[in-house]
Amino acid sequence: MSLSLPLLAAVGVLGLLGTGLLGLLVTRNLIKAVVGLQILVKGAMLALVLAGRLAGQIQIGQSMALTVIVADTIVSVVALALAVQVRRQFGTLDLQALSTLRR
Amino acid sequence: MNPTLALTWLLLLPLLASPVIYLAGRASFRLGKSAAPARWLAAVALAATLVPLYYTGEAVLRAGSVSLQVGAISLRMDGVGLILAGTVLALTFLVSIFSMPYMRREEGEEKHYALLVSMAGTMVGLGCANDLFNLWVWFEAMAVTSFLLVAFYREQRGALEAGVKYLVQSAVGSAFVLIGIALVFARTGTLELSQVAAAVAGPLPLPLPLAAAGALFLIGFGVKAALVPLHTWLPDAHSQAPSGISAMLSGVVIEAGLVAMLRALGCLAPMSASWGAMLLAFGALNMVVGNLMALRQTQVKRMFAYSSVSHLGYMLIGFGVAVGYGIANGAAGGFFHLLNHALMKGLAFMAAGALLYALHISRGSHDPLMIDDLNGAAGKYPLTALALTIAVLALGGLPPLSGFMSKWQIFVAGFETRSAAVEILVIFAAINSVLSLAYYAPLVNRMYRHEPSAAVAAGRSVSVLMGAPLAVMTILVIVLGFWPGLVDAITHPAAVHLVSIFGGVGALARF
Repeated sequence: MSLSLPLLAAVGVLGLLGTGLLGLLVTRNLIKAVVGLQILVKGAMLALVLAGRLAGQIQIGQSMALTVIVADTIVSVVALALAVQVRRQFGTLDLQALSTLRR
Repeated sequence: MNPTLALTWLLLLPLLASPVIYLAGRASFRLGKSAAPARWLAAVALAATLVPLYYTGEAVLRAGSVSLQVGAISLRMDGVGLILAGTVLALTFLVSIFSMPYMRREEGEEKHYALLVSMAGTMVGLGCANDLFNLWVWFEAMAVTSFLLVAFYREQRGALEAGVKYLVQSAVGSAFVLIGIALVFARTGTLELSQVAAAVAGPLPLPLPLAAAGALFLIGFGVKAALVPLHTWLPDAHSQAPSGISAMLSGVVIEAGLVAMLRALGCLAPMSASWGAMLLAFGALNMVVGNLMALRQTQVKRMFAYSSVSHLGYMLIGFGVAVGYGIANGAAGGFFHLLNHALMKGLAFMAAGALLYALHISRGSHDPLMIDDLNGAAGKYPLTALALTIAVLALGGLPPLSGFMSKWQIFVAGFETRSAAVEILVIFAAINSVLSLAYYAPLVNRMYRHEPSAAVAAGRSVSVLMGAPLAVMTILVIVLGFWPGLVDAITHPAAVHLVSIFGGVGALARF
């Protein structure tokens, strides 16, 4: 059985997406949730690069991935800034403590 | 003014003004302990943006669209983008006036104005995006500014909690959109909306990757548009944000999510019958869940937040009818309701915010505004109470206010489909509209017929600057109720355009 590069990348995409989603679902720690998000978005980035290759337009796929890196970094910065404030105000990073608002 | 130049300024002005507002506010704060220049600059920048909006709008209505090419990126303002841009800028301008007293001396006031103006700019851009990835970039920029505004009271636990929930859910949604984009790109080799539409045109069923991409767009943008199982962040975020921002979030941000979703689904038009059916199904869910949850709320802003969920349902019905059956009247009703909802819900949140400010915030308390607090408010705050009354009655769909007119237009379009299922859905929507009065009417009753609550008795006055935008919006809600035809000039071209994107050729019936 031969492993082509696109196939390997596709497996990588699915692995990253699965790991990210699973991490988000099982974790109770805000920082770990941010890490889960990061892994999820890395999967999406790899998917964009792979799509560029499959479509025969590698440079467009890569430039989209670069843009996503920038946007994703900004989101992570905001998320971590929120985490700092959560730690200060709640005294914990446990996501279950973040349920003071009524349904 | 040259339309291309006007569009350039329309996009650039808010984004250029935002850092200037921040720096001016910061400098003045350092020098004299007041961020006043930020307040005025924000209002001036937004008012100035209305000028290029006018020239762009004129050209769009004349020629159908205005294009702008920046390097490899192409932007195109069409009727749909024009409605979004007009609604966004008008509401943001009113919110910036309202916030002057509301946010006065709040820590980080200048950041609030800078973010408010840039959020408006990103939504205008979102309406102009002409390729899928560009759409995502604007969408993400809008999301980031709104995260920061939701968690603006960064020492309040509630605001932090709301911010975290909103950020995590939105970020997952936007990752889904990216995967959808990757699938479309891998399959078609292009991202420009019309080229994708041309590339996927073919016999049904569409290849699985493209159908999956559509589902991912529906979920990803659906988080921001608060489609029902994905709406859980909304009541927290919309009730914990500063009131002006609540008005923005409910009035235009979720609708911008909806417009982004329609644009993305539009390039997978061969499946429009399925997309239409899904929009209708989500519409029904949104209405019933939003209304039932709103019924049991004790906080005013939380109740309005759930009511936004249900109002998004009416828009979904209108657009679902347009997308699934090619009936342009449905889209016209949907766009009219979008514009109307920005007015009505903006007014409701701002009037509630004015009372919240008078009763709690001005006295140094961050308690939420409870429904009980409104008891007897009409005696002490007659004009604010009147504005809130008009807003909730319009939201409840009482004729002859504007909310009735747009719902009516959507319902009539539903009957045009001649489909029993849609007709039942429309009747269900009408029942829901009556149901919503079950939580709006007691609010009015409390304000006018109850003894003043302790909070009202101790409340401070509402300033003129806060009252002015309320007065303008109240008048607009009444005027649009009597003359709904005033906005036909912008809703009809947008509706015809949207239906043509989805492959329909429906003509507009006259009422």
